[in-house]
Amino acid sequence: MSYRPTIVAFLCNWCAYTGADLAGTSRLHYAPNIRIIRVMCSGRVEPTFILKAFQQGADGVLVCGCHPGDCHYHEGNYKCLRRFKLIQKYVDQMGIEKDRLRLEWISASEGQQFAELVNNMTKTLLLLGPVKIQRSLEVQHLKQ
Amino acid sequence: MEEPRIGVYVCWCGTNIAKMVDVEQVADEVSKLPHVTISKTYKYMCSDPGQELIIKDIRGHKLNRVVVAACSPRIHELTFRKAVEKAGINPYLFEMANIREQNSWVHTDRTEATSKALDLVVAAIRRVQYHEPLQKRSVNVDPATLVLGGGIAGMAAALEIANAGKQVYLVEKTDRLGGQVAKFDLTFPYLSSARQLIQPFIQRTENHPNIDLFLNTEIKEVTGYIGNFKSKVETAENGTIELNFGNIIVAVGLKPFNPTVISEYGYGQFPDVITSLEFEEMLSNGHLLTKYGKEPRNIAIIHCVGSRNKKYHEYCSRVCCMAALKFVHEIRACLSSANIFEIYADMRAYGKGHEEFYALTTHKQIIFLMYDQQESLPVIRQANRNDNCNMIIEMDEKLSGESIEVPVDMVVLMVNMEAHENVKEVVRAVGVSLCGNQFFIEKHPKLDPVATTTGGVFIVGSCQGPKDIPDSVAQARAAAARILASIAQGSVAVEVTTASVIEHLCCGCQTCIRVCPYDAISYNEEKQASEINEVLCKGCGTCGSACPAGAILSKHFTDTQILAEITGIMSMSYKGA
Repeated sequence: MSYRPTIVAFLCNWCAYTGADLAGTSRLHYAPNIRIIRVMCSGRVEPTFILKAFQQGADGVLVCGCHPGDCHYHEGNYKCLRRFKLIQKYVDQMGIEKDRLRLEWISASEGQQFAELVNNMTKTLLLLGPVKIQRSLEVQHLKQ
Repeated sequence: MEEPRIGVYVCWCGTNIAKMVDVEQVADEVSKLPHVTISKTYKYMCSDPGQELIIKDIRGHKLNRVVVAACSPRIHELTFRKAVEKAGINPYLFEMANIREQNSWVHTDRTEATSKALDLVVAAIRRVQYHEPLQKRSVNVDPATLVLGGGIAGMAAALEIANAGKQVYLVEKTDRLGGQVAKFDLTFPYLSSARQLIQPFIQRTENHPNIDLFLNTEIKEVTGYIGNFKSKVETAENGTIELNFGNIIVAVGLKPFNPTVISEYGYGQFPDVITSLEFEEMLSNGHLLTKYGKEPRNIAIIHCVGSRNKKYHEYCSRVCCMAALKFVHEIRACLSSANIFEIYADMRAYGKGHEEFYALTTHKQIIFLMYDQQESLPVIRQANRNDNCNMIIEMDEKLSGESIEVPVDMVVLMVNMEAHENVKEVVRAVGVSLCGNQFFIEKHPKLDPVATTTGGVFIVGSCQGPKDIPDSVAQARAAAARILASIAQGSVAVEVTTASVIEHLCCGCQTCIRVCPYDAISYNEEKQASEINEVLCKGCGTCGSACPAGAILSKHFTDTQILAEITGIMSMSYKGA
């Protein structure tokens, strides 16, 4: 079977997950290769979750939270953003292209935007091909 | 931990899921997984027989964990939690897989959708094994209520609660009560006086012993949680005073759209192009005259000004069509021979008595002219000296297909109703969300239309979306009933998915204290560990992901649970293997 990129997405309960639900109630179609995991706040997304997803074979990881200023918990999305900048560097150093890891803001009313985001990210991942993390993990094993 | 015995239930949701997902295949595949005791499909899991099925299986097969794959957990998680609780297991030993909103409704390939559903169900099965029973907590409800906004909705809610003998703090930004309704002359469709409607309301609100009224006041910040909110208000007489209340009703209303931005209409440029609210004021004052002090012989009423137009606002303001027809009656009453032009895009008469009102109005010797919002707006220009009128409206009349010129002396713009600019401040103060049009989002558009996702905060009236007086009052009284019910109960259930500290792992770095948005964490010097006040904690989990020692447990969203979900989601069919 041909390469089908898998995206693991972490969506905050209040904005992004609701936005994704809205895409559903609006019957907007998007690429079926995304697997969504619900967290209460994007601030809950730990670097470990992202690394675990890549380790398990995800070709892309998407984190979505509320728009700046709209966080249900006031500022969890800012905490997420700060942490995201660091994990992005780390992932880059592991040899995972930076386009494979994205942080986007999706409000509860942005079903359309969510559907477009999934399609765009899928396109990007199709161009990038399968994630090469297995190779970088092997290199680390050798070093040990 | 006892051996997990999981029951898995895959919902058809009629054809909503079953059409796109092979539910039998999903149930069949997961039945082979370890710890899955039983797996079934059913037409409507949320129906009474569906819930009974789960309850019977829990008892009969001694299940201790349940997974339901159906719609979004935002819709029926609570339903199923209650069902499993009824069968005697802790409601948190349950997990839902969203295979409708995030699967069957958004995909078109049955094989792909089925394999995705399988992944999601496997993830839920893996996750639920690590779920811990959580105990319900409840807090007492302060019987006072804060109402933001003194329009008809705010007053209706305040009076309902106050009449039940409970304290209300009514906070109004301006110097008077009445909101938009106080600016109207007559109301539709029965042409009764708005003043006669609102004045008794205002008087009862002002004089009610259970209502403390704060005019010229804005709430900057609200702290606390359902049942126990706190805020400070500045008063002229007593300085800053602190208010305690258990529930909040947001009734901040909306404001008229400013039509200056629509260049076609020349509002601000032509003195006799006025907004619907300016016209209301003119009618209330009893002088229907142009700016030159003359009786207008030709009056045009343009509909949908700033509404149903992507350039301004895409939504319909709902009330303007009927208000425009109401104007016809008011104009006719004082100017029997004036020409009246209703320049409309579509006539919307959806409400009770509205269609009849429209039919009645058509007998008032008026001319209906239709324009096409998507094509071109009518354009107003100054008339020439010998035109014998003040202005000319050039328009493409849709029904006749002709370009015409309409002579007018006065133009009334039926302006859109939009959210207040400062609505974001309200959002920040009380913690509710906005939709794309800057109106507040309800908890559920159909089943829970006055509640919000923040416990104890309700939205009523036109801040939730433009609406007429009956709908605003209905919402206000509905919210009041909800609040009175919680006051009568005396206590209310609160978030149990809070964070807690595993003391022996805490290294005392206090990172968690810095990231907590609710000041719910403090450092216990004696124990050399952080401590979480679970009443203040709202369970966002930010501390859990910031803790470098892994010493914070975000209940129901623990590392173990989420990592198990990730592994599960990637275990079956990824890469189309």
